[in-house]
Amino acid sequence: MPAARKKTPAGQPLPDTAPSGAPTSAPTPREPAPPRVPVEERLFSLVLALLATETGLTKSEILSTVQGYRQRYSTSGANANLERQFERDKDDIRDLGVPLETIESPGQAGNNQTLRYRIPRGSYELPADISFSAEETTLLNLAAMVWREGSLSTESRRALLKLRSLGGTADVPVLGYVTQLRSRDAAFEPLSTALERSSVVRFAYLKPGESDARVRTVMPLALVQHQGRWHLSAEEADTGVRKTFLLRRIVSEIIPTGTSFTPRGGDQSSIALRELDEVWNNHTAIVEVMPDSDAATRLRKRRGTETAADDTLRLHYSDLNIIADELAGYGPEVLVIDPPALRDAVIARLRQTENDHG
Amino acid sequence: MAERPKPQHATDKLAFLLSLVPWLIDQGSVTVTEAADQFGVTEAQIRDAVRLIAVSGIPGETSAYQHGDLFDIAWDRFDDHDEIVLTNMVAIDDSPRFSGREAAAFIAGLQYLSALPENADRSAIDSLMAKLARGASATPSQVAVEATDSDATLAVVRESVAAGLQVEFDYLSSKGLHQHRRVDPLRIESIDADWYLRGWCHLREAVRTFRIDRIVDPRITDLPITRHAADVTLPDTLFEGSTDDLLVTIDVAPSAVPLIADYMPDDANSTSVDGVVRTTIHVSHYHGLKRLVASLPGVVTVVDPPEARRVVADWARAATARYESTNPTAPSAT
Repeated sequence: MPAARKKTPAGQPLPDTAPSGAPTSAPTPREPAPPRVPVEERLFSLVLALLATETGLTKSEILSTVQGYRQRYSTSGANANLERQFERDKDDIRDLGVPLETIESPGQAGNNQTLRYRIPRGSYELPADISFSAEETTLLNLAAMVWREGSLSTESRRALLKLRSLGGTADVPVLGYVTQLRSRDAAFEPLSTALERSSVVRFAYLKPGESDARVRTVMPLALVQHQGRWHLSAEEADTGVRKTFLLRRIVSEIIPTGTSFTPRGGDQSSIALRELDEVWNNHTAIVEVMPDSDAATRLRKRRGTETAADDTLRLHYSDLNIIADELAGYGPEVLVIDPPALRDAVIARLRQTENDHG
Repeated sequence: MAERPKPQHATDKLAFLLSLVPWLIDQGSVTVTEAADQFGVTEAQIRDAVRLIAVSGIPGETSAYQHGDLFDIAWDRFDDHDEIVLTNMVAIDDSPRFSGREAAAFIAGLQYLSALPENADRSAIDSLMAKLARGASATPSQVAVEATDSDATLAVVRESVAAGLQVEFDYLSSKGLHQHRRVDPLRIESIDADWYLRGWCHLREAVRTFRIDRIVDPRITDLPITRHAADVTLPDTLFEGSTDDLLVTIDVAPSAVPLIADYMPDDANSTSVDGVVRTTIHVSHYHGLKRLVASLPGVVTVVDPPEARRVVADWARAATARYESTNPTAPSAT
């Protein structure tokens, strides 16, 4: 009998799925513990309730009626733990891209008790005219797979669930691809969170050529990968000057300052990539490569390389120290002609390697 | 970075429920197996989710979660035939929008894959990106990857597979040897800015990995492909370890350990002394090692064996010697 079945799940012994670190709201020992509702059931019930309401629900309506809260709701008014739980749940739900809104009651601005919550259907649902062809679905599957390790892997997994929800099928690709973008820089994750929340952060940055790291306080605007390396484009908090930081040179943890800033708007990542391209185009080096060497083959295929003479190539670069490392790896296959600073940097590196192994 | 299996977080389960419900509504009737295939999850996860959906709903007029305020399924078909049929629906009709970060993950992934021949149609990609931005509940996060031109070598490889014909090219090995190779392409792989072709090499009669940027003059032959991706088990790791591999002990700055992680065996024994990590890497020959170490000056130092140290020192010395002969005024190494 279906109606009876409905009762069982709440009564079953259920695994403790409360997020770790959450303060447990232990009921007083003498009272019988309320049946434990799994976290996902509480979150799902909250989304359903807020989607179903036009006018919104107040916090006390939610806590006293929604599955997962109501079991723990006390009519006598001591619901501080439950209220904190609700605050965390709201954040979790918003993290999924669910547009959970608050509406102030007319004439009651600033009154938390009369604040109403809802999820407007129009901003929750994918617009009806958005669908993806089999080719597009194939490309999106590949694009999500790129992130399977590390940063954005959670987001790409959830994005794929939503894509599959639409029911489209992917083409079977002609050729298999296993592609991977790694963000091995420890700073990537906390910076992408700061970016999302528009929070001002602080970190120690070691500028090339300087022996001591300096602490920078910045407003993160974009994270971009250029020539295989991740960069942060950010505005310095005290000067307002926009700067680019190489994630690899951030030598401390990313420390949130606790303050946030107004998002700048506009396509910040395109601006950042354009600036990096400009630097790349403006820096050129002339090198001589040994014919038929690894350097001759690979440097010719490097982005933007021009052949100046038979075995002389004009290369582009964005950072002298990085290209010096790269060119030093080619050993005698590369001879830097110009600029002198790069030539000196490569010679210094080779001598160091020679001395370290002599 | 060590990978650890993550327990499925409650928010992941919620994302799954919100995606599953509209799909089930659209399907009408579907088996547990079909649902598991569609979402790439286990059948047990589908059954758990369906049981939860079937008892969920809204408080309703009476705030009592009455029958009509809950989802319901055809229980007999579920219990007896493993079929899912929703018989009552509540609150949800359509798939959820992407979050700003989810849309950004898709968009940056597409940008990264811009070298693929499949992505050559820029206007199609641009319209796909615009659609993702429109289908997100917030502006996509400002995370982006520099787009590159479609890669000519990848295009030839894809064409050869589509035609079922072998591809041939000149290849310069890291030992510096020029060879002519004929290959049945099996897979294209990449890690960040490095792209590789894995294929059945007819010269070596074995699976080989080729760096795309070492492939010169690729062309399609008139010889049919003999081995297909489905016939060959490709190891997960890009560089197949072999019994011929040489083990090398190195000292490395802690910050640079991730840069050499690909060369470290899983059971590498690392110790840390005076802020330097001493560990072991495996290389197929010293020609690759000398290039790697010379590109990380002052960061990685070979400790043992002496032969490896000598090869690296010779490589650097040959280079400085060239500079000294082209610029006699440069002070010589001490």
